[in-house]
This record gives sequence, structure tokens and C-alpha cells, in this order.
Amino acid sequence: MDKTTNSNSKYWQSLEQWRNDPEFQSLVSSEFMSSPISEGANVTPEDGPARRSFLKLMGASMALTTFGCVRRPAQKIVPYVNRPQEVTPGIANYYASSFADGTEGFGTVVTTREGRPIKIEGNPSDPLNNGGMSARAHSHVLSLYDPDRATAPKKNLLNEKRTNKDTVSTSWAKVDKEILAALKKGGVAVLTGSQTSPSLNSLLGKFRSVFSAKHYIWDSSNYGHVIEGQKACYGTSVLPRLRIDRAQFILTIDTDILGTYLAPTSHTADFAVGRKKLNDDMNKLTSFESLMSLTGTNADERYVISAADQVPLALALVHEVVYGLGYGKGYDGLKSITSPHHSAMMGKVGEGIKQAAKDLVEYRGKSLVVAGGESTQGPNAKALQVAVNLLNSILGNDGRTVDYKYSHNNVMGTESHMKSLVRSMNAGEVKTLIIQGVNPVYSWSGDFRAATANVETVIYVGDRNDETGSIAHYLLTESHPLEAWGDLEITKGVFSVQQPTIRPLYDSRSFADTLVAWLNKSGSDFNYKNAHSYIKSYWAKNFTGASWSKVLQNGVYDTSSSERNVSFGGRSFNSSALSELKNLNKGSDLELVLYSTVGLRDGSMSNVSWLQEFPDPVTKICWDNYATVSMSFADKHKLHEGDIVSLTVGNKNLKVPVHVQPGQSSSVVGLALGYGRTLAGEVGNNVGVRALDLSDGHLSGIPVTLKKTGKKSELANVQGHHSMEGRQIVVDATLSDYQKNPEANIHRHKIITLWSKHKYTGRKWGLSVDLNACTGCGSCIIACQSENNTPTVGKKYILKGREMSWMRIDRYYVGDPESPAAVHMPVMCMHCDNAPCETVCPVAATVHSDEGTNDMIYNRCVGTRYCANNCPYKVRRFNWFSYTQVKSPLQMAMNPEVSVRSRGVMEKCTFCSHRIKEKDLEQKVAGESYKDGDILTACQQSCPAKALTFGDMNDPDSELSKAFAEKRTYQLLEELNNTPAVRYRTKIRNVAKLKKDKHQGGGH
Amino acid sequence: MLKRRPLVTGDKTYKDVTEDICELIERPPGIHFMGLFLSVQVLFIFYIVVLACIVTTGMGLMGVNSPVGWGTDIITFVFWIGIGHAGTLISAVLFLFRQKWRTSIARTAEAMTVFAVMTAGLFPVLHTGRPWLAYWLLPYPNQRGPLWVNFRSPLIWDVFAVSTYATVSIVFWYVGLIPDFATVRDRAKNKWRKKIYGALSLGWRGSARDWNHYEMVYMLLAGLSTPLVLSVHSIVSFDFAVAQLPGWHTTIFPPYFVAGAIFSGFAMVITLMCIVRHLVPKFKDYITLDHMEVMNKIIMTTGLIVGYAYGSEFFIAWYSGAPYEQYVFVNRAFGPYGWSYWIMVSCNVITPQIFWFKKFRRSIPVMFVASIFVNIGMWFERYVITVTSLHRDFLPSQWGMFDMTFFDFGALIGSFGMFLTLFLLYLRLVPAVSIAEVKPVLFVGKDKGGHH
Repeated sequence: MDKTTNSNSKYWQSLEQWRNDPEFQSLVSSEFMSSPISEGANVTPEDGPARRSFLKLMGASMALTTFGCVRRPAQKIVPYVNRPQEVTPGIANYYASSFADGTEGFGTVVTTREGRPIKIEGNPSDPLNNGGMSARAHSHVLSLYDPDRATAPKKNLLNEKRTNKDTVSTSWAKVDKEILAALKKGGVAVLTGSQTSPSLNSLLGKFRSVFSAKHYIWDSSNYGHVIEGQKACYGTSVLPRLRIDRAQFILTIDTDILGTYLAPTSHTADFAVGRKKLNDDMNKLTSFESLMSLTGTNADERYVISAADQVPLALALVHEVVYGLGYGKGYDGLKSITSPHHSAMMGKVGEGIKQAAKDLVEYRGKSLVVAGGESTQGPNAKALQVAVNLLNSILGNDGRTVDYKYSHNNVMGTESHMKSLVRSMNAGEVKTLIIQGVNPVYSWSGDFRAATANVETVIYVGDRNDETGSIAHYLLTESHPLEAWGDLEITKGVFSVQQPTIRPLYDSRSFADTLVAWLNKSGSDFNYKNAHSYIKSYWAKNFTGASWSKVLQNGVYDTSSSERNVSFGGRSFNSSALSELKNLNKGSDLELVLYSTVGLRDGSMSNVSWLQEFPDPVTKICWDNYATVSMSFADKHKLHEGDIVSLTVGNKNLKVPVHVQPGQSSSVVGLALGYGRTLAGEVGNNVGVRALDLSDGHLSGIPVTLKKTGKKSELANVQGHHSMEGRQIVVDATLSDYQKNPEANIHRHKIITLWSKHKYTGRKWGLSVDLNACTGCGSCIIACQSENNTPTVGKKYILKGREMSWMRIDRYYVGDPESPAAVHMPVMCMHCDNAPCETVCPVAATVHSDEGTNDMIYNRCVGTRYCANNCPYKVRRFNWFSYTQVKSPLQMAMNPEVSVRSRGVMEKCTFCSHRIKEKDLEQKVAGESYKDGDILTACQQSCPAKALTFGDMNDPDSELSKAFAEKRTYQLLEELNNTPAVRYRTKIRNVAKLKKDKHQGGGH
Repeated sequence: MLKRRPLVTGDKTYKDVTEDICELIERPPGIHFMGLFLSVQVLFIFYIVVLACIVTTGMGLMGVNSPVGWGTDIITFVFWIGIGHAGTLISAVLFLFRQKWRTSIARTAEAMTVFAVMTAGLFPVLHTGRPWLAYWLLPYPNQRGPLWVNFRSPLIWDVFAVSTYATVSIVFWYVGLIPDFATVRDRAKNKWRKKIYGALSLGWRGSARDWNHYEMVYMLLAGLSTPLVLSVHSIVSFDFAVAQLPGWHTTIFPPYFVAGAIFSGFAMVITLMCIVRHLVPKFKDYITLDHMEVMNKIIMTTGLIVGYAYGSEFFIAWYSGAPYEQYVFVNRAFGPYGWSYWIMVSCNVITPQIFWFKKFRRSIPVMFVASIFVNIGMWFERYVITVTSLHRDFLPSQWGMFDMTFFDFGALIGSFGMFLTLFLLYLRLVPAVSIAEVKPVLFVGKDKGGHH
């Protein structure tokens, strides 16, 4: 502020001015005649707004009031009155936790923002999953905010048919009182899934003894057949852990080890270990399959067999190993059993049997034969287990690649438990039935609803009034695992704690809390405050060496790492089990094989839109299940994609659309489980059909007839075409070719350009995708969706080509469509140096950063979509409608670091720019500098196979630079000279010869 | 020496010309006209409703998707811009070449241009995701930095090309109208008509000075608009040609688009002239069969050029050896959208061939039908270029299909409502044949002599 001084003013207005009174000076400065110069460098806050800034502010607020408030929805924000400890607004907190997805366990790190969990990541110290996650595990965060969850305990006023017409809310105190009275009457049965929580298990033990209850364990996707097979062959009921990391040769028979079987995430992590060895130690995967599974698409060699040939094939392999190659002393009394199968199977897949037997013997002790899962649960399920165990024993794999000691010891659900429960229910022995963790009315093949008619009180501990809830008298709202305390031990000796990351959203209790409440009031000596105190004392008692807070910090407590990772001797094979191999069911001409999908599995998370819209890794279809048939079968019966057929088993009948699946056996029809739910919620209801309606007690090998109905429906396939049309998209090479020439099969282009390249002086981000490690499981897709708030659009709009996911996995078939090879290719924004999108945007809404990323400025975008047209990778997604309005409380799952996009703007992968920014700021404050590996993209973090590497290209020592320097790195559509920052590494196949595309076009 | 055929038939005097042309403005419309106008109005209102739905709900109502990011809006935009070309060509280029036969059709052709550009101009705005922000495509000083447009983007060139074209066309049209507005003013018996046309005629007195200035301006404007005939559609073609997409990325696009534009423009002139001749029988003396025949010849010529372009595209695709390019063209003719390609070829290449025969060149029903076919063909040409190139590009996994929805059809059909509303209003409000320009050519081809 200039001083109004005597020397400058010729005239004085007052004596004060003349005297140069300080009071007067301040008056002058705040007068309307304040000098515009007040915007200068020496402005103090006391000066107040100068005229210009005032006008600026006024102009801006005028503009804001006229424009800003019209369209932006006004939402109230309320500041904290008392800020909770640990929470800094705008800064994420991370909590180590864990949870079990059916029979698969995950050590997790939960990201919370302002007290709400928004993302689940894999815990890098989890020794099994290697920090990887599955698509389902990521989706768990959305199921927490599911709008269809029940909000308080309910009492169902059931009508006679138990179709549940009226529901009344009640209180816990009232419910507990009524239930305790019922429990005291005796005849208590508890039906749960596998008890993977050791503390809950002990709590249940207490409950059993206090209320003299019976405990039945049954899982919707259960491994009873494997366990029974183990018992028959080795005398112990055990579910062995597959040591895929130790196996150099893996042979699967209709078993999707990388997709759905047992613990696919850790299998994938283990599989990648051997995959990445690009030398003679590289593992080899051979699959014999009737349906095309995710494992089959990753197999080096894959042979198509019918479902009825599963056991004959295993026996033919035994024959070939023992008699063909003369290996396996002490096992030569089998000829009478194996030789008829051998001769029959040699005519079908002779080449495959010869090759596989050779590999099995060559890698004996380091090979692994696996069969199990839904698609093997036919009439011969037990025989198949015996045959496979026999093979593993002959080859000396038992104890080495089949780990029976550190097994999945808590996964004990079996079908026989369920059957005996239903038997006692029908016999009227059960007065009170408590069901928790499973939904038998939907996911059991028998009629559970009818069996409950004789039960006086049915109590369902679940999160909604679903199929089982609707037949129960009481629905005890169960807290979501993210809201409740718990612990986990799925693989023996690997413990983890599940800590809640949010207070229960609704009036709910965890099962453990409920049991504690009942036991407290049971009159026994049991007295705990709640589940938390029980778990804590359980850990204090059982893990004396562990510090509770340390366990909470690490999330994982591994007690068996030293013993787990050594091999031990095989068990002796019980030859009496061989009797199972006689009198096999012959199968029929056309058999129905049920399978579970990577996304929905048993259907327990059907109401999660991410999973419904998650494209099946093999078919790329979402929002439906369908009858898969082979190409030749479709030709023979004049079936086309989407034709509705009627499948008939006995007197049961279902109408489903057909999907023509390359690489499928012509004698089977596949149908996915997990669909056709009726009481899952708004998203999951009536999507697809309930495949179990056709089950005759088996899940595979069900004799079926198929008839065309003449009607048609459309299947929502996110992929438009399934052949690479001879273009260089996914490059693959055989291992031997690669060893001779690391650049094998890459056609490099000579590129001449008139322009100088962009200069990147600081960091230059890049991402390397190892096509060799990627199995196509798709966990990255959901990781990205969860991280970046990408919306789901529903079947109608998927059909229109409006999917919004920022990253996708393209799957192409190569070779004869009856028995093709497949490749998976993750595709996200390539962040090209010469980005075609950038030049064509009229408003410069997509621009290049000095770190090499292609940035999208949402609020500048007017939505001409020219960028999307000009993108050769088609990774850009347009907001066709307003997708941000989601049903409450789903908005709580949004990541506040990533802005939601309004209608009419383009969006795409950002290389998780918010994570880069977050880390940069953090390091700036801490005075650190960026090191390689500090920043992980969401997709990279989630990948169990560690197929993605993100980093700085300008740093020659970064993992990324090393990956890019590999000779097998190539750019997608290199000839366009877009110079993408995402580059791929050749897929290496451990085979002698690659499959080639004979036909071009076709298979739409 | 071969005698010229008269440009105006029916032994008209100067007075007759004035009477014939002004009558349309001065007498109330007949039942035919009102019927047509009201039905076109309904279509126009339907159009407004369709567009309002799209703007308020989102682009998702239309069939566009990924990979086909541009659909009906862009196709119809290029279609209407193309239509506009005939007007400028007739009024400016033929004026510079002293083609006297242009005089009686020039006015209507120019009006068609203006209305077509107006109709077209809405589409690029409405096809954006956030049309209320479409003004961001204009480079103007602003408070956002200032944040400028991206001058490398063909869409910006497009903004300039189309807005320049619209401005010049309107000015050119209006300048040509000044003497005629004065004539209407002078004949007006009604106070308001006198006032309005008086204002529109900008104080025209018909003095030698007025004429001198007028003709100078008219010629200058003709000179200015001539390059626009070439530039506008060249630049519109850059929207495609500059992209990396096989099927779009070709150097032949500018001349090919210009030829196609003139082709479709003349076809539209024929369609409209047939309607005008039907609605106003007196105009048959001014817009004679000779005029129609000349235009049919142009249609045939440009049709051949367009046919050549189609062939050359295929040749180059094969000759280039670029596999993506080759695939796009094979797919264009024999893929799932092959039907649209063959509609295009039969309408644009085969239909005009009938004009080799004089009988057909001079038959109103034949040329009316043929001109409509040509316009259908030209719409499909843009459909073929836009959709078949986009729907299957580099990565087969992202191949997709484009299906038009109710709103696509609504926008396409409704745009005719807007265009025809404007055109019918024009017929009743503006002298539809240039009085000032027809009078000088009244005696061409007649023994009486007259102006040369």
C-alpha cells in the first residue's frame, strides 16, 4: 500500500492527512479509493480485497452461480466435530486382514478412506497367494455395500409352503430369547460351510457341547470327492495342497486349477513360478478336457475328451506309464483293469496319451496329475480320484507335488454330511436347525426346502433374505467379513486374522458374536464380552509365540513355512481302492457337465454387479449362463450362437441359449453353476438359469437331451471376434525356438519418421505385460474397476458394445476350432508416445504428460469420441449416460482419489496416475525420492502371476527397463509408430510345434 | 451457327416475370401447400423432441458404441453438408463461367445450400457427449488459462470450414436477394410487408450506382465462395482422412468427397426442383426441362467420378499391401455391412447411368426417382465409410456392430423436417427465382435479340 504522503499530495483534505496520522492512513487504505497497485508484492492480508481482485471474485462468483450450480448436484458435506484418531481426511489407512472366499483364503490389506473400506488388496506377506487377488476377492468390497442386505434381524411368518410372504423386523434381545428357548429343546443341528476359522471352530465346539448339537459341514463347491478318494487310497481324509510351484509337468483332467478349483489364486501364483523359467526347467501343462476351461486355454498341450472318458483316460495313462514305458515297479497287477481302457482311449487321443505318459515319466516326482471339481463329479467321481492318486503314487509325486501334510485341512465339506443332515431332518430328529455360510436351498442339488418342513425352528445366519432365508423362521443378519472379527486357516499352519475395517453398517452380528451371545446366556461357564475378546483369548491360548498386535500388523502368521516347503515321502497306496475302478459307468451319448465360472462360482456373490459383468475368461460372455456345445455339434444340429435350446434330464427341463465353444467335446453340453438365483437381490435375480435344476445328484456326466426351440436370445459377449486373423497381436513361440532366438516369431517393422521423438527428461512410465505369465484370470479387471470407480452397465448395454472397463483381457483362439490353442492378452491404454487420440481431440482434453502418460482431462472433454475412433487399441470408454448415480450405499465403495466421470465424457486407463501423485506427494513431504517399485498400478498389484511390471523406462535399473530390454518384448501394432508405453513379451509354449490358423475369419 | 434454346419459355415479358415470381409471396398459400407444410411441421416438431431426448438423456440413446463411435449424426452431417455444395457451385462457379442457364435455379439452389448447412450444422454439436459445451471448439480468449483449442485436430478445421461456408453462403444468397426484395417492397400493398421487405432490401433504389456496386460485390463474393466449394468438403473429408483408421486414412478422400458432394447436391436440386415445378406450375417456364437436363448431365458426370473413386479405393487397398487396409475393403463389400455397400454402389454408380439416354434426362418422373436414389446412395456412402471402417479395425477382439435405434432414425428423418420446413417457408417468403437475374436472359435464344 502506497503511503498517502504530504510530498505527493498538493492538497490536503483534512488535518489528519496533513499530519500523516496512522489512523488516517489505515482509513485511506480501506477506502473505496484503494489503489489498484495493492495487488503488488507487498500486499498484507489487512489490505483486504483490492478492487481488481474484488471484481474478479465477483465475476467468478457470478459465473459460478449462473453456470456452476445448474448442473452439479448440490451435496452437503459435514466436517468432523471430533476427528477420530488415525483418520486424516484425504489420507488412506491400510489394515491387514483376511477373508475366505468359500474354500479359498486370502491375506488382504484393506484400504479405507475416512473410515470406509474402498479396496481390498492382496497381502504381499501372504505366503500362498504372493499378494495376488482374485476377481471375486476384489468384489468383496462391493458386497459390503450391497443395497439388498438385510438391515436388522427378521422373523419370517412362513406360510405352509414356506414361500415366505411376510417378514417382520425384530430385535436381537427378542430373537436371542426365543432361540435360546428353542435350543434348549434339544435336537439342534448346525449346517455350515467349511470352518476355515480356527476360533470359530472352537467356538462351535463349545456350542456343540453346551447344546449337544450336531455340526454338518457342506460347501456349495465341495471337495468331498477328493477327500473320499484320498481316504480310499491312503486311509486319511485329507484335501491335499497342489504344489504346482514344484511341478515341472502338470496334467489336468477336466480340472480348472487356474480358474476355479480349490485355490486358483495361489495355483496361478505357483504356476507362474515355473512358467517364467524360460529354460529347460520351464513347466509344462497338459490338459485333457471335455469343456474349455481357463486352465485349458493356458495348457501347452490340450486334448479333447468326453466327460465319460475321464477315468478311462487316467487308466490309459497308467497303462502307458506302467506297460508302455515300463515304469512303476510293484504296480504291474493292473493290466486287466487298464488295458481295455488303454486300447479304447488310444483310438481317441492316442497321441496325447503317448506324449503325456512320456512327460509324466520324464518328470516323475516333479509331475502332478490333478482331477477334481464340479466337472469331474459324475457317476465315476471316486474312481477318477483313485485313478489319479494311483498315477501320482506310481510316479512318486505323492508327498512332493501332492502335499498331504500341509493340506487344506479345514476344507472338509462333503456331500455325505448334507445327505445325513437331510436324512435326520426327514426323520424328525432335528428340532432346531442353524444354517450359516451356505445357501443350500439354492446351491444344493437336492430338495432342501422340503426337508425343512419337519424342522420346528430354522435359523438362517445370513446377510439377506435369500433362498434359504426365505424358508427360515429367523433371519439373523450376519455382518460382512469386513465388519467382523475373525481368523483364518485354510492351508495348514498359515494363519491370518480378519479385522473389521468398518463398524457394521446395519443391525447385524457376526456368527461368532451370535454364538458368544447364546453361549453367554446358556447357563454354562462361558463368559466372553464378544467375539473379539473370544478370538483374542483363543489366540493368546493357542499361539503363545505370537504377539497379537504384531499379527494384526502383518495380517499373516505363518507357523509352517519351514516344514511346509520341504518334500516328504509318499504314502503307501491302498490297493483295495482299485476295486473302485471296476464297473465304471459307461456314460451316454450326450452328457451334461456343470462347471463353475471364475466370476460367480457357486453364485454366492451374484448380487455384485462387478462379477455379473465380469467377462468369463474363456467365453468372454457376461450376465448369463448358457449351454456350451462344440462346433461340430452345433453344425450337426444347426445351432447358432444364442439359439435357445431345451435341455432335458429325466423329467426336468431348462431352456437356455447356446454358446458354440471351440475346443469342446461333441458329446457334452456344458452349463455354468451360480446363475438363476431368485432371491439374491436386484442385480443377481433371474440372471441365467439354475443349472442344479438339471442335476440328478451328480454334477457331471448327466445324460441329457437337447432340443432346439426355435427361439433366440443374445449373449452379452464383450469380445467381437475370436481369431487374430493372421495379424501380429499375440506373439507366441515354442520354448526351443525361443531358446534359439529370443526374438522368435516377432516381425519387427522398420519405421521411418520425419519427426523427432518426444523428450522425457525425468521419469517415463511404462508397463510390461508378460503374456507368458498371464493366465487370463481377470483379477486385474476387477482390481481396476474397484480402483477407478468404473461403472457397470448391464446386459442390455453390453450387447450394444458399451462396456466401461478400462482394462480388458482379449482371448484369441488359434488353430483348428475343434481343438484350438488360446491366448490371453491384457489390454489397457497404451499411453503411446505418438498418441493418435491426442492429435484429434479438438479441445485438447487428452494430452501428453512430461512423464509419458496420456492424460485424460474429464472436465475439458466435450465428447466428440474422435479419440476413441482413432485409437487402434480401442481402449477408450465413453460415458453414454450418467453412470455416477448408484443406489445407496454403493457410492461408499467409490475411491475418492479418482473422480467419477459425468455423462458425455471419455475415460480410460490413467496408469493409476492418482497413485503416482499420492506417492510423489508423500515422498516430497518425507524428503525421499522415487525408487523402482514404489508405485504399483492396481492391475499389477492384483496379479497373482506377477505378469505386469510398471515402472520408469528412463531408469536403466528398473524392473521395467529390464523387461523392456528382453529380446522378446514387442509393441502391439508397432507398424503404426504410436510407440506405446505398454509393451508385451512373447508367450512361450513348452511344445514342439505351434498351432497355426488354418482358417481365417469364421467363428464370430 | 447453332441456335440457342431459350432459357425462359412461354414468351414472357418483364412484367410477366415479376408477376409470376412475386405472386407466390403475395397470394395466400393453397391447400396443397398447406397440407405439405403442416406434415413437414409435424416432422420438424418430432425432430425437436428426438433431439431434446438425446440431449437430456445422453448419447447412449443412439446406436453408437465402442468401436463405432460415430454413427447417424456424423453420417447425416456429412450428407447434408454435401447437399449444400450444388448451391454454391451453381451460383458461384457457374456465375464466374458465365453460364447463363444457372439464373433461374441459382436462387433455390443457394437457399438449399443455406438450409442444408443449417441442418448439417446441428449434428456435430448434438453428437457430442456434452453439447452445451460445444462452444469450446471455438478459439476465443477465455478465463481458463486461456485454454486454446487443439489446432491439430481436423474437427477444429471443420468448425472453421463449415462456419465460413455457412457465413459466405448466407451473405452471397442475401446479396443476390437485395434487388428482388426491393421489387417485392415496391409492389407491396400491405404496410408490414412494405416495412419488412423495405428493411431487407437495404434501401435499394435500382440506380445505376446501386447496380454497379451490386454486381461488383456479387462477383467478388462469387470469387470468394468458389474455393469454398472445394475446401469445405475437403476439410470434412479430413475428419476421416487424417485419422489412423484403415478405410478412413486415404489421400483420395478430398477430391472424392467433393465430387460426391456435388453429385448429391445436384441430385437434391433435381428433387426440390421437381417439387417446386409441381407446386408452382408457372415456374415450369423458368425452370425448364433444359435446365433439368443439364443438371442430370452433371449428376451423371459426378456419378462416374464417384464410381471411379470407389474402384480406385479398392485398387489402392490392394496395391498398398497394407493388410488392415485390405481387410477393411474386403469386409466393406463382403462383410456384414456388405448390403450397405451394394446399396451405395447401385444407387450412386448404376442409377446415374440411365442419364446416358436423352429420354430419361428429360423425364421428370425418372429424374425425380433417380435423384432420390442418388441421395439414398450418398447417405449410404457416408454410412459405409463411417460404420464399416470403424466396426472392424485393428484388433479383432474389439470388432463390433452398429445398430440404429429409434433415435437414430428419428434424427435422420427428422432432419428432413427441419430442412423442408425452412425450404417451404423460403418458397413463400422469398422470390424463389431471381427476378433480377432472369430478366437479362429472357431473350436468350429468341429472335428478338436482347442482352448478351
